[in-house]
Amino acid sequence: MSVQLEISSIFARYTDNKTNIELRGNTVGECINDLVKKYPDMKKMILDKNGNLRHSYDLYINGQSSYPKEMTKQVKDGDKLNLVMLIQGG
Amino acid sequence: MLTRQELERYDRQIMIYGFGEEGQEKLKKARVFIAGCGGLGSPVAIYLAAAGIGTIRIADHDKVELSNLNRQVLHWNENVGDIKVDSASVKLKRLNPETVIETVTETISETNIAQLTANCTVIVDAMDNLPTRYLLNKVALKKNVPFFHGAVYGFEGRAMTVIPGKTACLNCLYHGVSMPKEKFPVIGVTPAVIGCIQATEVIKYIVGFDELLTDRMLIYDGLRMTFTELKVNKDPDCAECGISSGK
Repeated sequence: MSVQLEISSIFARYTDNKTNIELRGNTVGECINDLVKKYPDMKKMILDKNGNLRHSYDLYINGQSSYPKEMTKQVKDGDKLNLVMLIQGG
Repeated sequence: MLTRQELERYDRQIMIYGFGEEGQEKLKKARVFIAGCGGLGSPVAIYLAAAGIGTIRIADHDKVELSNLNRQVLHWNENVGDIKVDSASVKLKRLNPETVIETVTETISETNIAQLTANCTVIVDAMDNLPTRYLLNKVALKKNVPFFHGAVYGFEGRAMTVIPGKTACLNCLYHGVSMPKEKFPVIGVTPAVIGCIQATEVIKYIVGFDELLTDRMLIYDGLRMTFTELKVNKDPDCAECGISSGK
């Protein structure tokens, strides 16, 4: 499956300034693994030591939250994913 | 009843379809609690005072620092070292003498939050940390008072409106996840955008406009100049507003 991941400009420094990235995989986890393979600097940012999405991140599929167990969720061709970092500034 | 001076001051917004003198009177009767008098609290308070909110209660325990001035536009160079809510109160009263400004120089906590938000029509989140945001969300749910969330980082910001008993709450959105408070990067225009969105939502709610920023999070990315909406579902298992919480 081919999906389009949209990430915040906050991450652009780790992804060669790209904020829309095409990824391959059948699940969110496979797509995220494709992302960190392409851009290894993202791995430490978004994954914990067990390879799960850090609690401070949320993953949306076609605008819908994939919480909980995000990494196991199935994706289909053409899906749009959003990776969102929790922010707390005010 | 609006005075002749008020009718003139608010003439342009009273003209808005669905607003009218009735809407203006609702704003006049409202008491808004703003938690925080910094980057978000500044634009929220300025635009709510300008719109004619009757009473604004603003809480912040901090003093103005030089490094605040790139974004906290209620505080000026001459205010460095002043108590933030005092600095804010002076400007807001000069902007609109008809709005009553109540100031609180206390740290918002579990013990004082009920008292701080007493008799408030709405609660606005202009904080810089998640634990206090969860506390505000909790008290808003308990008191059945709408809660207006905002947060910023760099050129990016978020906003969401919570109507207790009806829509997803902050805990549904963030699942109770917390992070240590830290120094964060930000340019002043980001809280200006998000604070104005929060103030817009407050005004709409009080006047009675229906379509609020509920059950969806708005993400503003100033670098790409995009606004993205993501769906937020009310979580039936939410510890704060779900079935098991009894709310």
